[in-house]
Amino acid sequence: MKPIDLNIIGAKGAIAEEAEGKWGMAIDEDLCTGCQACVAACAMENNISFVGEEDAAYGRTMHWIRIERFWEGEYPDVRTTSFQPMLCQQCGHAPCEPVCPVFATVHSQADELNLQVYNRCVGTRYCGNNCPYQVRAFNWRDYERPEPLNNQLNPDVTVRQRGVMEKCTFCIQRIHQAEDTAKSEGRELQDGEFDPACAQACPADAIVFGRVDDPDSKVSQLSRQKRGVKHLEDLATLPRITYLKES
Amino acid sequence: MVKKIFSWLISPLGWISLLILALIVFSGIIWGINLTQITPEQPIEFPHDRHISFGIQCLYCHQGASRGPVAGLPTQTKCWGCHQQLGITKTSVLLKPLVQAIEKNEPIQWIPVATVPDFVKFNHRPHIAASLNCEACHGDLSKLTIYENPQILNMGWCLDCHVEKAGDDYEKLVKLTDCGTCHY
Ligand code: HEC
Ligand code: HEC
Ligand code: HEC
Ligand code: HEC
Ligand code: HEC
Repeated sequence: MKPIDLNIIGAKGAIAEEAEGKWGMAIDEDLCTGCQACVAACAMENNISFVGEEDAAYGRTMHWIRIERFWEGEYPDVRTTSFQPMLCQQCGHAPCEPVCPVFATVHSQADELNLQVYNRCVGTRYCGNNCPYQVRAFNWRDYERPEPLNNQLNPDVTVRQRGVMEKCTFCIQRIHQAEDTAKSEGRELQDGEFDPACAQACPADAIVFGRVDDPDSKVSQLSRQKRGVKHLEDLATLPRITYLKES
Repeated sequence: MVKKIFSWLISPLGWISLLILALIVFSGIIWGINLTQITPEQPIEFPHDRHISFGIQCLYCHQGASRGPVAGLPTQTKCWGCHQQLGITKTSVLLKPLVQAIEKNEPIQWIPVATVPDFVKFNHRPHIAASLNCEACHGDLSKLTIYENPQILNMGWCLDCHVEKAGDDYEKLVKLTDCGTCHY
C-alpha cells in the first residue's frame, strides 16, 4: 500500500505535526490470548452499563474495548486470525469529530485525545456511524444497576444517561490522577507509572500504554518494531494504536 | 361550542379568571425555583464565623483540600476534641446532636451544599497549590453563620478565572480551558 501523503488531505502544519500524538498504545496480537480480562476491567473502571440479553440481540452492546477475531479463506480451508482487541484509536485526524453538530466530540489540544463531552452530547449518533473502527457505544436506555452493583461505580467517571454516545477515553481519569500526583511531588510523570484499566488487567502484558512522543518510552520502542501495523491507516485517521503481529 | 368558550373568555369574568390562572401558574414556578435555592437544614447549626474567629485554620477541619480533590467535612471526633472540654457543650441546645452522635458513635450526616454536578471533575489540590485562598471561591466565611449555597460554581466562573490565571502562557491556557480537564 502506498503511504498517504498528508498534504493531499490538507493535513498540513498542525495536524501533520500532531500526527505523532501524545498518549498511545501498542497491542501485541501474538501475545493476546483473547481472555477478555481487558473487557471486564474496562467495564468496571468506566461505569459501563450491562445491556442485557434483549438489547444485546439488537446489537446494542456497550463495550469500549472488544476482542475481534476473523475467519480467513474459503470453506473447508478456513483459518482464524489472531485475537485483536479493538478500542478507540484516539485518531489524530478523527472522522467522528467533524460530523458532530454540537461539538460534543472534540479534539483535546492538551492531551491529544478525542474527547466525548457527555453533557454536551445530544445523541445524534453521527459520530458512531462515521467511525471506521465501530468503537462508539450509544446508551439506548438508562440501564439498571441492581443492588449491590451500584456500589462499585467509579466516582471519578461520569455515569452516563440515556441518549448519550460514549467511547474509550484512554482512562483519562487515571491520566489526570497520575499527572496530579506527579505535579504535587514536583516531578515529571514517568513512563509506566500508571496504566489504563485494560493494560493493567492484561495477564499476558499484551497492551502497553505510554507517551508516543517520547522516543525512549516502552510503547515507542515497541511501535517502531517491524511487526507494527496501524489499522485502516489508508483512511488517514492517524490512529494512536499500533498492533504488533507477525505476518 | 368553540365560539361559546371564546365569547365567555372575552367577557370580563372570562379574562379575570384567565388572569388568576396565569398568576397561579406564575407563582407556582417562582415557588418551585425558590425551593431549589433554599439552603438545606444541617444536622447541627454549625457557626463558621465563631469558630474562625478563634483562629482555627480551614484545613484543620477540611483536611483534604491541600492533598486531593475532596476537601471533606469533619467527623464528630474532631469537634469533640475541643467540645468535651467546653462548658457550653453541656448547656447548649445547638450542640445536643453532637453529644448524641458521640454517645451513639454514629457519624454526623452533613448535607453538602458547595457542589458541582457529577459530570464535572473538580480538584482542590492544584488550586491550593497555586496559592489560591479558600475565600477566592467560597467567600468570606468569617461573616457567615451557616454555609449557604453559593450559586456561583458554574462553568463561566471556572473559565473566567482560568483564562485570567493562565495569562500569556499559551500552553497553560490550552490545558485550563480544555473540555477534558473538567469533563470526563
Ligand atoms: C471547626 C471546624 C471547621 C472549620 C475551622 C472550618 N469549617 Fe467549614 N465546615 C465545617 C462543618 C462542620 C461544615 C458542614 C456544615 C455546614 O455546611 O454548615 C462545614 C462546611 C463548609 C463548607 C460547605 C461544604 C458543603 O458542601 O457543605 C465550606 C465551603 C467550608 N466549610 C469552607 C470552610 C472554609 C473556607 C474555612 C476557613 C475559613 C472553614 N470552612 C473552616 C467545619 C469547619
Ligand atoms: C478549636 C476548638 C473547637 C473545635 C474543633 C470545634 N469547636 Fe465548636 N466551639 C468552640 C468554642 C470555644 C465554642 C464556644 C463559643 C462561644 O462560647 O461563644 C464553640 C461553639 C460551638 C457551637 C455554638 C454553641 C452555642 O450554643 O452557641 C456549635 C453549634 C459548635 N461549636 C459546633 C461545633 C461542631 C459541629 C464542631 C465540629 C465540626 C466544632 N464545633 C468544633 C470550639 C471548637
Ligand atoms: C478554585 C476555587 C476553590 C478554592 C480555592 C477552594 N474551593 Fe472548596 N470547593 C470548590 C468547588 C468548585 C467545590 C465543589 C466540589 C465538588 O462538588 O466536587 C468545593 C467544595 C468544597 C467543600 C465541600 C465538598 C468537599 O469537597 O468536601 C469544602 C468543605 C471545601 N470546598 C472547602 C474548601 C477549603 C477549606 C478551601 C481552602 C483550603 C477551599 N475549599 C478552596 C472550589 C474551591
Ligand atoms: C479563582 C480562580 C479559579 C477558579 C474560580 C477555578 N480555578 Fe481551576 N485552576 C485555577 C488555577 C490557578 C489552577 C492551577 C494552574 C496550574 O497548574 O498552574 C487551576 C487548575 C485546575 C485544574 C487542574 C488542571 C491541571 O493542570 O491538571 C482543574 C481540573 C481545575 N482547575 C478545575 C476547575 C473547575 C472545575 C472549576 C470550577 C468549578 C475551577 N477550576 C475554578 C484557578 C481557578
Ligand atoms: C474549568 C472547568 C471546565 C471546562 C474546561 C469546561 N467546563 Fe463545561 N462545565 C463546567 C462546570 C463547573 C459546569 C457545571 C455548571 C453548572 O452546574 O451550572 C459545566 C457545565 C457544562 C455544560 C452544561 C451541562 C448542563 O446540563 O447544564 C456543558 C454543555 C458543558 N459544560 C460543555 C463543555 C464543553 C463543550 C467544554 C469544552 C469546550 C467545557 N464544558 C469545558 C466546567 C468546565
